[in-house]
Amino acid sequence: MDANIVIGPNPRMRAIFEYVALIGPGVGSVLVTGESGTGKEVVANALHDHSPRRQKPFVAVSCALFADTLIESELFGHERGAFTGAIAARPGRFERADGGTLFLDDIDDVPLGMQVKLLRVLQNRTVERLGGTRAIPIDVRVVAGTKRDLQQMVKEGTFREDLYYRLNVLSLTLPPLRERREDLPMLAEHFLTRFFARRREPLPPISAGVMMALQSYDWPGNVRELENTCERIAESCSCGHVRVGCLGASVLFASTESELNDMVATSAPGAGASARAIADGAAAVTVSARGYPDLPLDERLLRIEAEIIAAVLAETRGNKSQAAIRLGIKRSTLGDRIDRCAEFLPPRPSAVASQRL
Amino acid sequence: MTTADMVEAVLERIRPALNADGGDIELVNLEGEVVHVRLTGECAGCPSAEMTLRVGVESALRRVRPGLRVVPVL
Repeated sequence: MDANIVIGPNPRMRAIFEYVALIGPGVGSVLVTGESGTGKEVVANALHDHSPRRQKPFVAVSCALFADTLIESELFGHERGAFTGAIAARPGRFERADGGTLFLDDIDDVPLGMQVKLLRVLQNRTVERLGGTRAIPIDVRVVAGTKRDLQQMVKEGTFREDLYYRLNVLSLTLPPLRERREDLPMLAEHFLTRFFARRREPLPPISAGVMMALQSYDWPGNVRELENTCERIAESCSCGHVRVGCLGASVLFASTESELNDMVATSAPGAGASARAIADGAAAVTVSARGYPDLPLDERLLRIEAEIIAAVLAETRGNKSQAAIRLGIKRSTLGDRIDRCAEFLPPRPSAVASQRL
Repeated sequence: MTTADMVEAVLERIRPALNADGGDIELVNLEGEVVHVRLTGECAGCPSAEMTLRVGVESALRRVRPGLRVVPVL
């Protein structure tokens, strides 16, 4: 068994590991969905270890790593001279995983044109290298990973439906760490033991305050972030006792900043209006930056901009001149900005009121 | 909201975890934009803990008052 697997008390995770043991020996494609850092690759590895393929290679590749043109040669390989710089023939990841398991992470990042080619490979169970003419038979179990809702992408037309069904024969959804807090003590102990062992030290006692802080943090980076936190502790703790002071500022102070902004914003009405508006804006940004993680940067920025403008306009009861002063921009600039992010702005209160009439 | 209130609000937020370990953190003095805080208990004197708390308190405060500086005192 993989030493990376820690089975805690969380029933959902227990069910997932039982399911992994059940479907591991099969050949059907598996789609693993979960936020960043929830352990998609760990699960793919566990599926491989539970299969008769375990003596053969486990190959993991992130589809987000390669430019559109490179991903094809990365997955399928190329013959000598297939393109400028292809000085030698090179087998792709499919060939290298022959007989074993291929984990395609960030499958949602595969461009549409490439999705057709991937579908054909999965259907025919053969690959053709770039610039090649031979169809090379391959025997690979494919596990795909994604942090996005592929079904939604199918609806939006950015992911091919036929490929979706080909990949999603079996599916697994990994819960974020904040939804399985009961597993935190075991996971923390596992990582701390490992990182202290690297320093050739036994695991020191862990204080109640540390456990309290771990439990009250939201872990946006999930298990990977917890692993990072534990590594940090093991690297910097020298007193023989893991206490609150060993934790990083990000874990301890995560909610402090936005709470402080809220407090400043709601206290002292009328005093320091512009400082308050800036604090409001900052609070809105902290929320939104986490709120639209899957969108492209430009759209995220527009949505965040719309939120800030809407919040300030609400405060000034729709008065754009006052709002512009609070935002520290010219009245005309505010007009331009409103036009720019109009599609993300809530309907104007006056418009809503007239609809009601 | 005064600066002292803000510092207290930030300290209050991390106090439960520190108290659970038998420690505490308190505002000692405010001199203009310099905030003096003292860490007590088992973590006092640990360079790693002083660093975490200084950075944490300071960055939380600076979101609202950019000029503030936190200095730990013994």
